[in-house]
Amino acid sequence: MFLQLFDIIFYFFATVTLISAGIVVFSKNIVRSAFSLVFTFFGIAGLYVLLNADFVAVAQLFVYVGGILVLLLFAVMLTQKISNLQMKITTLHPIIAIILVASLIGVLCGIVRMNDWRIITISEIPQSTAQSIGKALITTHILPFEIISVILLVAIIGAAMLARKSEKKS
Amino acid sequence: MEFFSKADLIGTLPLLVVFGCSLLLLLLDALFKDAKKLVFSVGIIGMLTAIGCSLYTFPLSATAFSDMVLVGGYASFFNILFLTIGIIVFLLSYSYLEKQHYHLKEFYTLIVISISGMMLMASSADLIIIFLGIEIMSVCFYVLAGYKRIKVEGNEAALKYFLLGAFATGFLLYGIALIYGTMGTTNLIRISQNFDAFSHPLYLAGWGLLLIGFSFKIAAVPFHMWAPDVYEGSLTTVTALMSTGGKAAAFSSFILAFSIPLSMHNEKLMMVIAILSAASMLIGNVFGLAQKNIKRMLAYSSIAHAGYMLVGLASGTKLGMDGIIFYLISYSLTNLGAFGIISIFEKENGGNLSYEDYAGLGSRKPILAALLSLCMFSLVGIPPFAGFIGKYYLFASAVQSNLTWLAIIGVMTSLVSTYYYLRIVVYMYFRESQQSELIFVPSLALASVVLVSIGIFIFGIFPSLILNVIQNLL
Amino acid sequence: MLTYLLFSPFIGILLLFFINKEKLSLIKWIGVGTSLISFVISLALYFQFDAANTQMQFVQQVQWISALDISYYVGVDGLSILLIVLTTFLTPIALIGSWDSITVRLKEYVMFMLLLEVGMLGVFLSVDLFLFYVFWEAMLIPMYFIIGIWGGKEKIYAATKFFIYTMAGSLLMLIAILWLGYYASTLPDGMFTTNLQKLYAIAPSIPMNIQLWLFLAFALSFAIKVPLFPLHTWLPDAHVQAPTAGSVILAGVLLKMGTYGLLRFCLPLFPDASLQCASYISTLAVIGIVYGALVAMVQTDIKKLVAYSSVSHLGFVVLGIFSMTEEGIQGGIIQMINHGLSTGALFLLVGMIYDRRHTREISAYGGIAKQVPLFATFFLIVTFSSIGLPGLNGFVGEFLILFGSFQSRILGNYIYAIIAASGVIFAAVYMLWMYQRVFFGKLTNPENQSLTDLTKREIGVLIPLIIFIVWLGVYPKPFLNLSAETTKQLVKKIEQVKSGNVTLGQ
Repeated sequence: MFLQLFDIIFYFFATVTLISAGIVVFSKNIVRSAFSLVFTFFGIAGLYVLLNADFVAVAQLFVYVGGILVLLLFAVMLTQKISNLQMKITTLHPIIAIILVASLIGVLCGIVRMNDWRIITISEIPQSTAQSIGKALITTHILPFEIISVILLVAIIGAAMLARKSEKKS
Repeated sequence: MEFFSKADLIGTLPLLVVFGCSLLLLLLDALFKDAKKLVFSVGIIGMLTAIGCSLYTFPLSATAFSDMVLVGGYASFFNILFLTIGIIVFLLSYSYLEKQHYHLKEFYTLIVISISGMMLMASSADLIIIFLGIEIMSVCFYVLAGYKRIKVEGNEAALKYFLLGAFATGFLLYGIALIYGTMGTTNLIRISQNFDAFSHPLYLAGWGLLLIGFSFKIAAVPFHMWAPDVYEGSLTTVTALMSTGGKAAAFSSFILAFSIPLSMHNEKLMMVIAILSAASMLIGNVFGLAQKNIKRMLAYSSIAHAGYMLVGLASGTKLGMDGIIFYLISYSLTNLGAFGIISIFEKENGGNLSYEDYAGLGSRKPILAALLSLCMFSLVGIPPFAGFIGKYYLFASAVQSNLTWLAIIGVMTSLVSTYYYLRIVVYMYFRESQQSELIFVPSLALASVVLVSIGIFIFGIFPSLILNVIQNLL
Repeated sequence: MLTYLLFSPFIGILLLFFINKEKLSLIKWIGVGTSLISFVISLALYFQFDAANTQMQFVQQVQWISALDISYYVGVDGLSILLIVLTTFLTPIALIGSWDSITVRLKEYVMFMLLLEVGMLGVFLSVDLFLFYVFWEAMLIPMYFIIGIWGGKEKIYAATKFFIYTMAGSLLMLIAILWLGYYASTLPDGMFTTNLQKLYAIAPSIPMNIQLWLFLAFALSFAIKVPLFPLHTWLPDAHVQAPTAGSVILAGVLLKMGTYGLLRFCLPLFPDASLQCASYISTLAVIGIVYGALVAMVQTDIKKLVAYSSVSHLGFVVLGIFSMTEEGIQGGIIQMINHGLSTGALFLLVGMIYDRRHTREISAYGGIAKQVPLFATFFLIVTFSSIGLPGLNGFVGEFLILFGSFQSRILGNYIYAIIAASGVIFAAVYMLWMYQRVFFGKLTNPENQSLTDLTKREIGVLIPLIIFIVWLGVYPKPFLNLSAETTKQLVKKIEQVKSGNVTLGQ
């Protein structure tokens, strides 16, 4: 009974994620795309919760839904005349693309079927993961943690360059 | 509780120096109004210091930061290579940027940071570090590729590179996730100890996806589409960095990732690599024939050379790995030389890049023409230049692992490549020039090009100098 | 000592780096001087050479790349000694011969010629396959530039064709070399090696089907260089377009590298496969002899005529080698030298008259014998030598080859010798006919009336060539002695394989 409920919740979130992601890609209206992205992120956060990854789920909500998406919406809204803009979403080589994507999906599905999954039954109620993640970040994973700051630095420089007015020949 | 020890810090000293240097450059850039020269020289001093530190850490052999990165040996060796490339790109860029009117100071900062990414890639003992290294390097490259912001090609290059690069990163991450899923760890050393899981389909799928990600970074067919446009659209010295440092870094972590945990004997995966390699050699060289723009030609040539290096990986032997490392050095030097000379000839608005513009250069600029021909002969793989020794090693490794067909494709495509490499030589020496415009040759750039050419020559005649070092790396 | 010989031309190259390109005569003298130094060293080599010893002599071995057992390993034996002397002999002659005809970029020209000499010597001296391959390929670069920069109208086409043809062959040889090295490493306690001495012991035990492939890879590369019919098409282009000195070296030495390769590598490394292919390759050689002669006959350009005659002459050499008899192989070696001397001289002579009249068309001349008697005399001697008139060098080589192929048990058929002999007659026809049209008859073309005869320098260049042409014809014994023992050894080895005395496989 418990498992069935779990399954239902899983499929619900998965459907929400997929459908909204489809709308993001296929919609010709940029505002509609931006809004359906909310549901995609939300669905993914739900999936994280189901996987006992509570910290990641919250981070997903905070960072993506709360931060990035809001920024994105602001940008879309503040840009003039963007709401009526028809976006070009034609595919250049549909047949090749279909073949490639289909074969990739086929391979992955085949592997999923071939794989012998280990089924782990969880006996105890899962603990919060925030503590162990925090610990890992400043002990074993301190180097990656620090390196990420460098990536962010580069991203900032890049963004600044894009935003800067084009310099006339100096 | 100690999270890391002093030994960790000493071991990763070169990396830390480079990180520090990049921050310093950023600060100097912000503090002083017109600090081009200062930023330039501080950058070079920083990189020289890092080379010194790498030499110091070279004899060490350990891991640092809870088995996240390798220290000494292999890592130090590649650090020196990347830093040398960085210094040469610096030297080439100074006058080139001036000429092209793009003299912005973040340029140098970005180069230094991208080199720190490369260094991470070569010293990674963990898939996470590989990923982070690739990201640092790539993000820098995306920005650098779009440096010609006023130009359409510049924007096209950056956007194309960014979109396809992000796509490839997706594959890379997916692969890492699958490997983590089967192994419960991302650490390469620990993965390599878990022999039971090697035949796990999910594990192999993970490596397959990783392979796609890497193939994109090294521009191997069929993931090469970005290379010609990006190489053409970027500033020439940036192209030089991408085609040498970028490729060398990707291969350095490719070797680490694929030779440590795979126990080198997965026939299917090796076969896939062999096919990628053959396709790259064929397509790179055949398309290279049709190019009229020299930068585009070199882009296709770089695709082909990725194919040659994959030969070593496909063979899966020690000989092959040594071959790749040697080839990387010779290829980096050669390409730096070629792009360096091209950047000297390039006109301010990006002209002077077609074959016709090189007509009669042999009499107009004899030294540079001679050096460029030397680079071309080395790329073809004609002795006594370094390119030949590299090819010899790689093809020997292929023959050794029963991949003679691959070696035959290799030599046949080398033959094809002769034609387009020689075309430059033909134009330079056997045709007369129509134009008599003066070409200004900046001394810094000239010095670095000469230095690189001497390297090509020395490593071609005395390959043992470096081969003896390479042999003890892995 | 061999190292001194090999790198002596570098002295000149280094000196030239520091010399202003305006000082034309100094540059020329440095070039000639350096190549003469090499010649003197090679003469010393020649006199110290012990003909009775079939081993490599003056050996020097230095580790180069230890992981793959590659070493700088040089030596001389009976097969190579004459070719080395020929190389060092022809280089100064070619340089002096082109004294006035090269007017642009003289400095680079001399440097390339000296570089070429290093490459050629390296090919003949190497006793390591890797080293051999390095020189074999490296030598392409100077020749490519010599044709491409100082060549005639179609120089780019000719240079590129030359380069790509040669590359095509040698790359497959590279794979074969790698495979040999790899095969050595699969033997019990063997390791990857390119050491020729070790491979001589190992290679004949390679299974037949693989041996055949390796043999073909090597043979293809050499056949292109020789050039063996039907791979000869690069030759007329390269010869005609190259400057005089280039043609002299090309015909005199470069082509010999192909036949030398067959002798040095194909036969001893793959005796089984050689035996099996002998009749096919000899057939091609014979076709080449006749075809080259016939095509030469219809040429209107003197230089092209000489070029096609090379195809024919080299066919003789290949036939001699693949007759696999002592006489045949010795004849082949002597014929290589002969061809180097007489064709070299012919190209020089053609170059001399071209410098004066700037045309090589036979029809532009006629009756100039009276105008330039000295020139005509020299030309006649060389023509006779090329035809193979008894008493001159050509006769000795061709006679030995025909004799060898006639009695060869491996070819087992007289037809080869008979058809090849017809090539000698054809040679007489086209050479004499050409001579007649150029020198005899009435002086019809008024431009020829102002022709001047040979200068002292030109005579000085030709005299040494003529001396050797006559010497080899009258008394070839000392030259034959040099290669006699080595050849015997080689033939014995093949005979053993043929009769099955050698145990195959280990």
